[in-house]
Amino acid sequence: MSDDREESMRSLDEALARLPRTVEPARDLWPAIESGLERREERSRGRRWLRPTAAAAAAVLLVTASSLITASLVRRDAPQVARLAPEPPRVVVAQAAFGPGQALGPAYLAARRELARTLEERIARLPPEGRLQLERNLSELRRASQQINAALELSPGDPLLEELLLNVYQDELAVLASVNQLAAGNGGATTDPARMQL
Amino acid sequence: MTEPEAGSEFERARRAAEERALVDSAKRGSRAAFEALYRIHVGKVYGLCLRMTANTATAEDCTQEAFIQAWRSLPSFEGRSAFGTWVHRIAVNAVLAQGRRRTEPTGGEVPVDEAADRMPDAGARNDGGDLDLERAIAALPAGARQVLVLVGVYGYSHEEAAAMLGLAVGTCKSQLHRARQLLVGRLGAPEVEP
Repeated sequence: MSDDREESMRSLDEALARLPRTVEPARDLWPAIESGLERREERSRGRRWLRPTAAAAAAVLLVTASSLITASLVRRDAPQVARLAPEPPRVVVAQAAFGPGQALGPAYLAARRELARTLEERIARLPPEGRLQLERNLSELRRASQQINAALELSPGDPLLEELLLNVYQDELAVLASVNQLAAGNGGATTDPARMQL
Repeated sequence: MTEPEAGSEFERARRAAEERALVDSAKRGSRAAFEALYRIHVGKVYGLCLRMTANTATAEDCTQEAFIQAWRSLPSFEGRSAFGTWVHRIAVNAVLAQGRRRTEPTGGEVPVDEAADRMPDAGARNDGGDLDLERAIAALPAGARQVLVLVGVYGYSHEEAAAMLGLAVGTCKSQLHRARQLLVGRLGAPEVEP
């Protein structure tokens, strides 16, 4: 590149850097933004039933899981009685479905934290090998959710990331549900860690 | 006692603390706090959108969309970056999404519209030199223009601009090179103020 060309480029870069970064719009955009927020809130009010439903689904899942684990542990300690036929699993726990783009509200997150804490106490009473595998799976899923949350902060509203986050939450619940199913299946004494894989 | 200089360290720290408080209030649902954040940042966001789109109506749409999206995403904002940086990224996404909806050909020439004339004091600055530069930027092909605006005007690194635009860093560099060549070809060397 010739010296003149280089000089031109340098001048251009300086002129670009000198341009004002702030440009005020010719009209106030806030009223349109505010009505956009109202419209979206009205639309989301129509779908708001999904949030309590999602929270309730998660709550039912976690409460069921924790209750059945406790029941299984209690049964294991109780005197054995003969059964005519094996009891079928009492509850089939399905994954909670939130739907793409459905944001998780603070109420759901608080309920999830509280119930997860209760469940963790129950998990602490599982056999060590199974517990180790379970904790490993949960910690991987939580690391994934942290990474997706960090990415969401950089690209807020990214539908793919939102969907990935929901998938991770659903996977986490599925792992917790597997604790319940295993507890129901063998009286709470989980010895096969592979069954705790997703 | 003298007032702290605008732009001083003290003033910057005070503004940052004020902004953090506004963000916290907005996260708790205060529309008034969010409006205050809008008032602080709208100029920079609109300037970015206007230069990236070269169209005033589209820039207004993108600015509105960016703030609506920011409100919706506030619960996930953890303050790892400044609110302004965060909302800038949202604005870039809004511009790109708008471009996809309009199916504007990425490499195509965009006719110069009145965008450059809307720049602040455009006619008064630099005897029209800046106005010519704004017009030349607006006339660049979309891809080159977007990179030039982010890197050349707003000072983002190639890595940051590439991540925002969903490009490889090498592509970002070559688009900037192309944009600068085109500008120099059209303008010659812009005059630099002493």
